[in-house]
Amino acid sequence: MRHLPKHLRPRYRYLAVEIETWPDADFGRQALQDAIWSEARTFLGDVSSAAVDLQVIEADCWTGGGSALVRVRRDATEQARAAIACVSSVDGQPVRIGVRGIGGTVKATETKYCDGPPDATGTESVSFRGATGRAVYRTDRVDIDMNGLFVGATPREL
Amino acid sequence: MYETVHVHADGPTTPGRFGVTVSRAGFDGMVLRNRQSNMVTVDAESLANQYGIGVVRGIEITAREKAIASGAIGNRRPEAEILLVRGRDPDLNRFVAESPRVDVLADPMGGDGDVNHVMANAAAENEVAFEVNLDGVLRQSGGDRVQTIADLRKLRELIEDAGAPFVVSGSPRTHLEVRGPRELIAVGTEIGFDLEQIKAGLSAWQAIAERNRDRLDPSSVRPGVRLVDDSDSE
Repeated sequence: MRHLPKHLRPRYRYLAVEIETWPDADFGRQALQDAIWSEARTFLGDVSSAAVDLQVIEADCWTGGGSALVRVRRDATEQARAAIACVSSVDGQPVRIGVRGIGGTVKATETKYCDGPPDATGTESVSFRGATGRAVYRTDRVDIDMNGLFVGATPREL
Repeated sequence: MYETVHVHADGPTTPGRFGVTVSRAGFDGMVLRNRQSNMVTVDAESLANQYGIGVVRGIEITAREKAIASGAIGNRRPEAEILLVRGRDPDLNRFVAESPRVDVLADPMGGDGDVNHVMANAAAENEVAFEVNLDGVLRQSGGDRVQTIADLRKLRELIEDAGAPFVVSGSPRTHLEVRGPRELIAVGTEIGFDLEQIKAGLSAWQAIAERNRDRLDPSSVRPGVRLVDDSDSE
C-alpha cells in the first residue's frame, strides 16, 4: 500500500522500558507484547488501548533483567505509562517494570536511556539466613536461590 | 516523594535491596512498614547514607480487635517515626480515625473495609491520614480490580469533602513490586485522582515523619519551642 503523506502519518513517542526479574526468568519480545496488550485492555479498556497503540519494537532479556523499546501514540504517553506499570508478570514470571525515559526517535531513545546489561554477573555459594544458597551477583544487587525460592538482597548484606 | 515498603524477617526482599530499588525508581525516600507482631531490626541511618535516600522507621499494627490495637498503639507510639494501623474493617476504621495518636489509617478499603463521612470527618479532626493504597490497582485484575477502583473513588470523594489528610502508596511486598513515582502518578490520574493529589499524597509521608521526629526529639518542648544548650549559644 502507498505510504501516507507526511501530515497524515501518526506521530509516535518511544518509551525506554526497564525490566527487573529473578535470575531464572527468560522471555522474548512476543511474551512482553502479550503481557502489555493484555494489561492495556483490562486496565485502559478496548477504546483507550486502540488510541494508545502500544507496540513492543524490541526486547532484550538478560540474567535478572532486561530492557525494551515500546512505541506509542504521541498524545498518549501517560496512559501507556499507567498500563505498563500494571504489568506484574510476563509469561508467569514476576517483573518490576517501569519507563526510564521517552524519546522522539528509536535511536535517540536507545542512546539516551538504554544502558544494556549490568557489568559484573557471577554466581557463588553463600551462607544466608542460616542456610546455604546460590547467589547471583549484578553490580550492586544479589539474588539468592534458597532451594528454589529467591531472596533479593545487596552484596553488603551477605 | 516517598514509597512505603513491607519488610519481614524472612521476606523475599531485604531492606537494603528495597533501598537500591526505591532509589533507582526515583523516590526521595522510603517508609519501612515494620509489622508490630514480627519486627525486623533495620539500621535506617546506614541505609539512608548508602543509597542517598530518606529512610523512615514506620511501624504497622495489624491487630483485628480494637482492644489489642489500642494497647499496641500505646506501646509502639514512642518508637515509631510513622505509626500505621491497618483498617480493613468498618469498626476498626472508625476506631483508628478517632485515635489522634495514630498517623496513618492503612488500607481502609481493603478486605471488608469501608469508610463513611463520619470517619472522614473524625480523621480530619484528629489528623489521621487515610492511605490511598494503589496495590490492588497495580496487581489485581478483573472484577477485584473494578471493586478496588470503585472503593478508591469513594474514598477520594470522602477525603475531598471532609478535607481529611491522606497519603498515597504502591505498597510493594517485594522489590519487583516497586513502581516509580511517575508510574504511580500515571495510574492515579487514570483512576480519577488529580496529578497534584497523588504528588501530595506521596510527599505527605515525609512531612508526617518530620513532624514526628521533631516530637521525638528530647530537646523539643512543644511545637515551635525547643531547649537550647547555653554553652552552644555563647
